[in-house]
Amino acid sequence: MPVLEKLSLTGKVAVVTGAGRGLGRAMALALAHAGANIVATARTHAQVEETADMIKGAGRACLWVSCDVTNSSSVNAMIDSTLAEYGRIDILVNNAGGATEGMGNALTEVSDDQWRVGIDTNLTGAIYCSRAAIPHMLEQGGGKIINVTSGFGLRAGRNNFMYTSAKAGLINFTRALAMTYAPDIQANLIAPGLFPHENPQMEEWWKHGKFTPMGRLGKDEELGPLCVFLASGLTSYMNGQLIVLDGGGLAAGHAPTGFAPVIPLPAEGV
Amino acid sequence: MAGDFSLDGKAALVIGASNPIGRAVAVALAEAGADVGVATTTTANEETVRANSCANEIWALDRKHFTHIIHAGDEADVEAVVHRTVSELGRIDILVNAQDLPFAKPVLETDYFEWHAVLNANLGGVFLASKYAAREMIKHKWGRIINVASVLGERGLVNGAAYCAADAGVINLTRALALEWARDGIKVNAIGAGWTEGMGMIGGDEGKQQLERYLPYKRLAKPEEIAGAAVYLASDAADYLTGQVVWIEGGALSHV
Repeated sequence: MPVLEKLSLTGKVAVVTGAGRGLGRAMALALAHAGANIVATARTHAQVEETADMIKGAGRACLWVSCDVTNSSSVNAMIDSTLAEYGRIDILVNNAGGATEGMGNALTEVSDDQWRVGIDTNLTGAIYCSRAAIPHMLEQGGGKIINVTSGFGLRAGRNNFMYTSAKAGLINFTRALAMTYAPDIQANLIAPGLFPHENPQMEEWWKHGKFTPMGRLGKDEELGPLCVFLASGLTSYMNGQLIVLDGGGLAAGHAPTGFAPVIPLPAEGV
Repeated sequence: MAGDFSLDGKAALVIGASNPIGRAVAVALAEAGADVGVATTTTANEETVRANSCANEIWALDRKHFTHIIHAGDEADVEAVVHRTVSELGRIDILVNAQDLPFAKPVLETDYFEWHAVLNANLGGVFLASKYAAREMIKHKWGRIINVASVLGERGLVNGAAYCAADAGVINLTRALALEWARDGIKVNAIGAGWTEGMGMIGGDEGKQQLERYLPYKRLAKPEEIAGAAVYLASDAADYLTGQVVWIEGGALSHV
């Protein structure tokens, strides 16, 4: 098969969590443009409905589901809805996550609940979704899991405990998935660099990326092709691996932690 | 969507098309729309045949192409093949460094000139080709350099000291070059290839059988499975990606 045809996702069904905005929406749209039908999930309705409208505008089917990934019943119900609607699940993008209450606190000021919510939001959610989806992927002969981690999963920031621990945990969880379910399921990771999601305040906070090697911040739509690449037939032998999309930031190691000790990350819908 | 990955109108040079990964990358780039010059790094019979069949496939895809024999670590050779790319294909947008000199020997039996030969071909060759290609790429503020490294750049191997050192060098050279040219429109990334059918470090049938038992996929990678990443990295779709290693190794590095 010619190499570009391997990128087609026609007939595939992709679940994208946290698809109401930002990177989740960009990835859902890119997967749809590559031919997949989409299940877009978020905690709240309004934004994810808009994502669904955009996908339908692109000529693909989209089911939006209200889902709290930190609640396993909610996750199981979401996967049930996916199967009821499309009868299969080929691609799972665990994108939901983000800053939670207590991030930026000194460790002695982090409460038990804050710790749990942070870990649940950024690690356990992906585990619940994977656990619910994998049996169906295996039954139909394979699937792709794409977990969204962060530069904070590889390096640390001051007073950033839950997020950095959860995102590091997600990296090794993905390796365990790869080891366990190879060659049927490919589980890989994306670590986005600094993406302000067209929020002028964030752009200002990050100085428009002037301190990064490429001299600019990431654009949400740039995550789309990477997601398609990882979901496609081009990566059939890629498993348990991470691609950092950050304009060279971590290759240098000077960003983002060298710039600001604690960065208020914009929350994705969970 | 596939449009973002198209290489229509791009000119590529693949060094090391005489080995299975280089050959597969050259063909994949041509399939994605690029004109491709292929440089072979050996005159050994099997490799020359492979490079010629690669050139034939590119020709059949109706892309411009040429083949050229170089010594990967010879500065004049490398400069010449970059110039030939510019003169025959009009430009050099994409450089793939897939040169691969396999070498396995206990260190105590390895002469220093052998060490130099391996470092020169596998690491020095990447430095040279990147240097001469980037000179051209900077003029257009657009370029892609894709270095093919392997799991031996991340893990050691008995009798593989020189090869492992060179491969690890390629990986960190990738990061440094990425930063050096980050604002010149040149993206420098590596493909970290897993154990791939036909490559030189596998060590014959016995080595292959051992790997097949141990690898999570219970098989080696096919060269085409490595090549897809080159298309992504070469395309406009990867514009924000630089200084990275894209590992395609079937989970081998996830092992404890």
